[in-house]
Amino acid sequence: MNGPRALALAALAALAALPWVLARHQLSILTDLLIFGLFALSLDLIMGYTGMVSFGHAAYFGLGAYGSALVLVHSGQPVPVALLAGALLAGVVALPVGWFSTRATGIYFAMLTLAFAQLLYTVAYKWRDLTGGSDGLAGVPKTTLFWGGPSLATPHAYYFLVTACVVLALLLCRALVRSPFGRALQAIRENERRFVALGRAARPFKLVVFVIAAALAGLAGALFAPFRGFASPEVMFWVLSGQGLMMVLTGGIGTLIGPILGAMVFILIQEVLSSYTEHWMIFSGAVFVLMVIFLPGGLVGTARRLVTRA
Amino acid sequence: MTILETRGLGRTFGALRAVADVSLRVETGELRALIGPNGAGKTTLFHLISGLLAPTSGQVAFRGDDVTALAAPARCRRGISRTFQITSIFPELSVLENVRIAVQLKAGGNFRLLGGRALLEASERRARDSLGALGLLDRAREPAAMLPHGDQRLLEIAMALAQQPELLLLDEPTQGLSPEDTAATVAVIRRIARERRVTILLVEHDMDVVFDLADRVSVLHFGQLIAEGTPDAIRGNLDVQTAYLGGPE
Repeated sequence: MNGPRALALAALAALAALPWVLARHQLSILTDLLIFGLFALSLDLIMGYTGMVSFGHAAYFGLGAYGSALVLVHSGQPVPVALLAGALLAGVVALPVGWFSTRATGIYFAMLTLAFAQLLYTVAYKWRDLTGGSDGLAGVPKTTLFWGGPSLATPHAYYFLVTACVVLALLLCRALVRSPFGRALQAIRENERRFVALGRAARPFKLVVFVIAAALAGLAGALFAPFRGFASPEVMFWVLSGQGLMMVLTGGIGTLIGPILGAMVFILIQEVLSSYTEHWMIFSGAVFVLMVIFLPGGLVGTARRLVTRA
Repeated sequence: MTILETRGLGRTFGALRAVADVSLRVETGELRALIGPNGAGKTTLFHLISGLLAPTSGQVAFRGDDVTALAAPARCRRGISRTFQITSIFPELSVLENVRIAVQLKAGGNFRLLGGRALLEASERRARDSLGALGLLDRAREPAAMLPHGDQRLLEIAMALAQQPELLLLDEPTQGLSPEDTAATVAVIRRIARERRVTILLVEHDMDVVFDLADRVSVLHFGQLIAEGTPDAIRGNLDVQTAYLGGPE
């Protein structure tokens, strides 16, 4: 079947052409959407493919944002160094958090991840010397692509950096879920007890994927800080974790591309509704409820069902 | 040679002694049936042997090694594979993937995060072989949840068999099957035992199945082994008749 490949190529072509079509502020919105798409994609790895519902995924986005902001503010290194630092910081912190959290399953796992995330949020809020407290770190510069390399300060340049990161992350996740490791994750999601009876403890798998997902969320956060020019405690708050779940469900859980689209749709709906009314949350909530009821499997799951039926 | 030996194996749940002082020896290559009334402790004993439950007393030895301290995954890797009384499969995965993952989990390479194509193909070949042995190959691409109940029971056996175990534990493989499916399953188990040279320990309620298949029969009653012998001997055993077969005629 060549349909999916053609769609992918069309999407790539569109991503490449859009900077010349869109106005400056529209390109900025698209960049924002892609960053949160990457965040939702990372959540899908644990939620959609391993069956681990995390209520604290924002923590790793935030850690990535702070890691990246600190590097850029204090050292002015090229952006990719900051990205690496952000992803690394998120992954390193996820290791002990994951080690504790994966001792539990289901709602208890969710609660543990939430508790750790709120703990990290509090640290970011209180550790003024390092994080700037509630003010956050402002004036995070978009530096260069490499030492002595081109500046990333133009909207076009930064857009292409974000796009490249998202596409690479998507390809990476796709390879991951099709690898022996990824197959094992899906078996854990389906029936953990059976998995264990077939010869492997599930926890090491869960821990590894938890760290990978956190590092990717960290990458998203690390892109976010220089893009917006700041990192503040809000990006670690539980509200973003909850929105992550909604993005994944809107786009289609366990589809990788779905959550990216879901994040885009989710944020766009908010943007549009909030331009009409200050009570936009009521309406975006209603839209979400309707989507879950009438589009089970999200946008991508529903589209696939329609295609196979046709 | 003895492949499995339990020595004074026991498990209590609070005041309940589910399994008490069970000393059981299974010889390599034999097909042993474990029978007993409901609540006799058969499934608990299976959990103790496969490692899903830890015993409160006694030991389990597999091929001469004490495996009591090993958890279920480690025992599986040593060669003990099992099925469950209540069908336990990966419902959304394909029939083929259910079996393939069973092969992969035992064979290794599970932490290949990227690529691993050769590994996937090798495990798929073995999975197909196992599915073929159980007559499920033509449904390999379907989600496992779509299979009828009888085929799901066979799929579980295929998963265990694909791991090329030395000891296969089957927990009521014919449970809930129609007479025709039961007959087919019995034929499959007999063929596996003969062709794959695997030792089988099977819990079964259907006495026709037991007397038809088993080389030897062990009888569990209130958590204790009360008799052991050939099917004929067990049929003639007065204690067993009182405990299980509805009293002497």
